[in-house]
Amino acid sequence: MDVYYFTEFPYAEFPESEAEKFPSMRLTFPNTYFDPNKAHDLFKRYLDEYQHAEDVGFDGLMINEHHNTPSCMDVEVNITGGILARTTSKAKILMLGNMLPTSDNPPRLAEEIAMLDVISGGRIVSGFVRGIGIESWANNTNPVYNRERFEECHDLIIKAWTTPGPFRWEGKHYQYRAVNPWMLPIQKPHPPVWVPGTGSPETVEWAAKNRYTYAAFLTPLDVAQGLFARYREYAAADGWEAAPDNFAFMVCCHVNDTEEKAQEAGKAFLWRMNHPLRGPREYWSPPGYTSRAGAAAVAQRRPTPLNELSYEELQSRYHLVVGNPDSVTRQLRHIKDTLGVGALLLEAQGGPLSHHDTMRSLELMGREVIPALKD
Amino acid sequence: MATAFTEEIVDVGGAKIQVLKGGSGEPLVLLHGAGGNSGWLNYVRALSEKYTVYLPSHPGYGKSDRPEWLETMADLASFYTWFLEEQGLEGARAIGFSMGGWLASEIAANCRHAFSKLMLVDAAGIQPKEGEIADIFIISPAQVTELLFHDPKQAPEYESIYGGEPTPEQTDIAERNREMSVRICWKPYMYDPRLLGLLARVSIPTRIVWGGNDRLIPLECGQMFNKAIPGSDLVVIDNCGHVPQVEKTEEFVKIALDFL
Repeated sequence: MDVYYFTEFPYAEFPESEAEKFPSMRLTFPNTYFDPNKAHDLFKRYLDEYQHAEDVGFDGLMINEHHNTPSCMDVEVNITGGILARTTSKAKILMLGNMLPTSDNPPRLAEEIAMLDVISGGRIVSGFVRGIGIESWANNTNPVYNRERFEECHDLIIKAWTTPGPFRWEGKHYQYRAVNPWMLPIQKPHPPVWVPGTGSPETVEWAAKNRYTYAAFLTPLDVAQGLFARYREYAAADGWEAAPDNFAFMVCCHVNDTEEKAQEAGKAFLWRMNHPLRGPREYWSPPGYTSRAGAAAVAQRRPTPLNELSYEELQSRYHLVVGNPDSVTRQLRHIKDTLGVGALLLEAQGGPLSHHDTMRSLELMGREVIPALKD
Repeated sequence: MATAFTEEIVDVGGAKIQVLKGGSGEPLVLLHGAGGNSGWLNYVRALSEKYTVYLPSHPGYGKSDRPEWLETMADLASFYTWFLEEQGLEGARAIGFSMGGWLASEIAANCRHAFSKLMLVDAAGIQPKEGEIADIFIISPAQVTELLFHDPKQAPEYESIYGGEPTPEQTDIAERNREMSVRICWKPYMYDPRLLGLLARVSIPTRIVWGGNDRLIPLECGQMFNKAIPGSDLVVIDNCGHVPQVEKTEEFVKIALDFL
């Protein structure tokens, strides 16, 4: 069992009520609310927290990327990956991940990830993502071709890592005369690949076909169970047995010295669950982004949007795990046993959560919760 | 009265294409906009009293197949030259509405014998210099409908078109239409930078019709079409939005028949 620390580098330095004036806190929320000097301080703080997570015993550090949103200041996962590759020394660096469909240059992505693997000494876990619908708008990439570009970009990157160059690539979306990256990853045949999902049946099938780790993000446990079951079925049909390492689960988490303290501080996660998850359907799912089968499956599976759940409901449905070390250990063990996952991804910084509470939470996770989970 | 119509499925290059057809007289081809084929509305009925009207659903819209290779507006225009040839409709009169106006002008600019007379109604295809073409993909279908009209109360068919709850089949077709429009119009959004230059090649009588209060495609674009197509005229319908054929049906039909 590997436990990863994750934050989206949130920027909560404005009154939350301002978000109510706009359709969403993403995409079109005005960037006049952004103060680069405050962001400078936040980056220092968040990077210190990542360092602390490694020091107290997390197995890995997870980073991601979004655009046009205060909920995530990390706009380029390979930049933060580069920082962590140099500032840390032991932890795996899980980049979940590079957005393939919005990339116009897969060979350069292959080089960048390889370079990170080289600098970090082979610690990169290379997540590949389609990007939420909002990224299609922010990057102005035609959502109809999202999945096609994801798959072709992936195929080209893997070939660049595994096939001696130079070779030519004449695909539908990408064409290159001489793919021949000098920079190749340390890990052979290539860094582990992970794929996140919230319900698209096509993604589960694709992950299983490639034997990649499938990470369910903030899904209800029964939904994750269903997705993992489908993965296991695809694997079995293909003649192999899926192992815990093929599955990961992401959940928000806060630990504090007492239940009371944890419950009070954990309310900070309501910021993350509220406006950043609110917005018009077209933002989240531009026409053509989701197959109609996928849209129907998601609608059926997740009836209540997370931003409409109460603090108590978020906890009882395991989107958010809050408590003292014993109670959090118990809850995370329940998740681990229910889902049979080999990795838990703990989003442990929820926006307005203070530096002090974040550090204490990481400390308690590292010293008490993680060792108990590994027993 | 020639008001009845039939629905046919015709084969063009292996793709099954849905065509509504009715009326009598010389052929008139109507090319629908990004929302898809809205059927045999009053304005179509009125035009079919003078002409044999052909109202196809573009490939990828309605019940029409999309050939695997068809992914851009230029592809769609090429497909239609094939369609016109196969259906014996070369040299027909044509009206293109909104995105269908972009399509019609693209066909006319590239194939001089495709049409004999051309009418463009609140057409897409040209990048405005001052304003912007409203983004219909980032808002809900209901918000798009709201933008179409200057005053829906003056559109007699408004309730019958938009009033009822859509059937699952209609919803499915609407989503398919929207996806196809995204496929071909996403970027640059609703225009092609080369079209303005190509329009000088349009050598047939051309009338441009615009709702004076179009909130989707600025009137400025109508003026640019007018300037770019030699010998064309521009008729502006006052107090009217993006779909004059529905909002001011009678006036629209008169303007169309006078020209055609």
